[in-house]
Amino acid sequence: MGWGPNIFVSVDMERRRIYTGTCLQCETALCMEVCPVNAIKRDPETSAVIVDNETCLGCGMCVSACPFGYMNLDDFLRKATKCDLCGGNPKCVQMCMAKALHFGSINSLAERKRKQSDLRLGIRAMPADKDDGQ
Amino acid sequence: MTGKTPIDNTVVKTLCRMCSNHCSIDVHVRDGRMVEITPGQGNPSNQGRMCPRGDAALDMFYHPDRIRTPLKRQGDGSFVEISRETAIAEIAGKMMEIKHRCGARSMGVWKGEAVGFLQQEEYARRFAHAFGTPNYFSNDSACYNGRFLAHILVNGFWNPFSYYAKADLILLFGTNPPVCHPPFMAEFADAKENGANLVVIDPRLNPIACYADIFAQPLPGTDGAMAWGLIRYLVKAGEYDHKLMDHYSIGFEEVAVYAEKFTPDYVEEQTGIYADVVVNIAQLIIENRPKVSYYMGAGLEHHDNGVNNIRALVILSCITGAFDMDCGLIWPEDMPRNKLTLYDELPLDGEKPIGADRFPVLYDLRKECHSMTAMDYMLGNGDYPLEGLIVTAANPVVTNPNTRKVEEALRSLDLLVVNDLFLTKTAELAHYILPAASFLERSEIHMDPKYQRVYLTSKVAEIPGIKDEYTLWHDLAHSLGFGERYFPWENETQVNRYILEPSGIQIEQLQAHPEGIQYKPLTFQKHLSRPLPTASGKIELTSPYLKKLGYTAIPEYVPPYHLREKSKEYPFILTTGARKTLLYHSRNQNFEHFRKVHPRAQVEIHPDDASELGISNGNQVRIVSSIGALVVEANIVNRNELLRGVIEMYHGWEEWRVNFTTFDCVNDPISGFPLLKGVPVRLEKVENALA
Repeated sequence: MGWGPNIFVSVDMERRRIYTGTCLQCETALCMEVCPVNAIKRDPETSAVIVDNETCLGCGMCVSACPFGYMNLDDFLRKATKCDLCGGNPKCVQMCMAKALHFGSINSLAERKRKQSDLRLGIRAMPADKDDGQ
Repeated sequence: MTGKTPIDNTVVKTLCRMCSNHCSIDVHVRDGRMVEITPGQGNPSNQGRMCPRGDAALDMFYHPDRIRTPLKRQGDGSFVEISRETAIAEIAGKMMEIKHRCGARSMGVWKGEAVGFLQQEEYARRFAHAFGTPNYFSNDSACYNGRFLAHILVNGFWNPFSYYAKADLILLFGTNPPVCHPPFMAEFADAKENGANLVVIDPRLNPIACYADIFAQPLPGTDGAMAWGLIRYLVKAGEYDHKLMDHYSIGFEEVAVYAEKFTPDYVEEQTGIYADVVVNIAQLIIENRPKVSYYMGAGLEHHDNGVNNIRALVILSCITGAFDMDCGLIWPEDMPRNKLTLYDELPLDGEKPIGADRFPVLYDLRKECHSMTAMDYMLGNGDYPLEGLIVTAANPVVTNPNTRKVEEALRSLDLLVVNDLFLTKTAELAHYILPAASFLERSEIHMDPKYQRVYLTSKVAEIPGIKDEYTLWHDLAHSLGFGERYFPWENETQVNRYILEPSGIQIEQLQAHPEGIQYKPLTFQKHLSRPLPTASGKIELTSPYLKKLGYTAIPEYVPPYHLREKSKEYPFILTTGARKTLLYHSRNQNFEHFRKVHPRAQVEIHPDDASELGISNGNQVRIVSSIGALVVEANIVNRNELLRGVIEMYHGWEEWRVNFTTFDCVNDPISGFPLLKGVPVRLEKVENALA
């Protein structure tokens, strides 16, 4: 874990939009594949891609390899730094009072997204307690 | 800095007081040190989340610059450490001297935001009266009182924020909740998830506007015209709560007549918001009423027409029918409790409270003296001299308008005592500085009227030599001879027990429930069965009370100062005080990692204005008003963020005090609020700046 930010927020004032981005914890993680000293591993519990600070040489290969720019080099530690999901309880989610950030299983997140897109399309799901299974 | 933790290796569940939102936090203590703060569960206010300010309480507690011992100013302006006993004795001696020479009312007490509300505020009010002075001042004179009075004048109660998640339409005026009220955001998110619309009306494109379905950018101080335009539209369409207007309010006829002239075109002329946008917003209200939430932020009260603009919006809320219901105006009930104030026992209304003649409503309804008028009294231009002042955790040298005058006034005092955590600009002028305790160092009662919950916070840590707020007033009162009578409790826990006595809730219950206890279930539609706490018992759309005092009964819309007094010399409109993510008024700016995010003051300028003046991003510019000037860095924002001709600067910086340019003499006639968000200024590029 480094000192710099591992989640990035950009505000587009032209379109009045706010975007957040952080490591996607890729299944095929190019940062992990390119690391010459195998300092990047997958946490068996959280599936997060994590950097072992003891092993990392600070060469920056992973920074070049990441297609999204979410791998960074910490100025102070001179080590690769990225989102490690805070060991399974991400601080950014705790701190996001606006409930814009969520952490959970992929299907629970899909359900949230489904509800939102239903709403945009004007589909209102039957409330669960009134659903008689038809 | 060394601090001690009474309980070790545990998680202390308490409430955050880095702002006023009553969020639950868990403070993790390990090996005698607080190591981490995480969000606390079970409190509806924060729903298991917290904001980064909460985390920073540890930066505040362990900050190397914390004042740890009482300090006394020497003739050459330097400070020497003195013992607490000596400090208290000397301060009491000087206070008695002032009392004998000029009378007790020549002393004042000033409560600041950094110590909190409720009992911290009531200690200060109690102490002032016990000493014999009616002169209680506070930061509320420039934040909150305006909104408080506007609500009280219409409904007799303060609406403590609605249940926004229940609304189908939310309208926000002059506020940026992600920064100033983070817990609202979860409610907005829930409302939006259920299909609610969000309308944001603000001269500045704040991040909240990025979530808005409609964002409209008015000229500063014209919200009253918008409110009246919407009222007119609803009345004309017959789309208002007929039952509420016919049976539970007074003045509807006058309101309907007065609203006539606020056609969408007239609203456009005043506010700059297109007439069809006004109509769109009115239509949204009609479609969704009564499930409409209105929230008016501090942006509205910092104008010389602030109270009436807010009153017009409160009236709009009533006309909509969003009244005495969850998503509308909430009529909260107090917990039965012992108050610490002495207004019944020891009224001092006859002692000429400062400003009560100029702003009678402020003193009558809020029992607060006018802090700007106080400066005149300090400088010998009042009905009697104000010679001494005890300031507890307020920083008026930064946050009150007309900084030069504030400094001059405070310097002229015979006795200035400042109780604070840090050596603020105000403390630098003090004769005595006392070290104040942070919220982590005391146990106090919080109440949240929105959820009708009561909480008891825990003392998590202490710093040897630093006493809590109660001990300060207790010790001073005992030195002055009225301690036994008015501050008989030995410690804050005894005070807490006294406050709770009539409630039937025990301290032990609150200790067992750090997430708070609901003291009374929240009920709605109470106005159907009992009169409102106004003189007439009804919603006062027009106020007989104000009429009797010589004001107009109806909240007439008066165009803001900058539109009335257009000036070629000062063509820009300066708005101050848009909140910063990590700062809180003048607090937090000395936290190192916050300074990485907010390194220095900037003035926000529209790109076209900047290019006309030859200003590039990062240039030094001078903001000049008719009373003062300051030099600050230019931040050229996106053209959507500000209207042309409007500039914006944060108000809390100690090193760059924008209040050198703001006026103390242009005031709202009802609340006495200063004009902080519509100051006519000019901008000059500073050549060869040594920056």
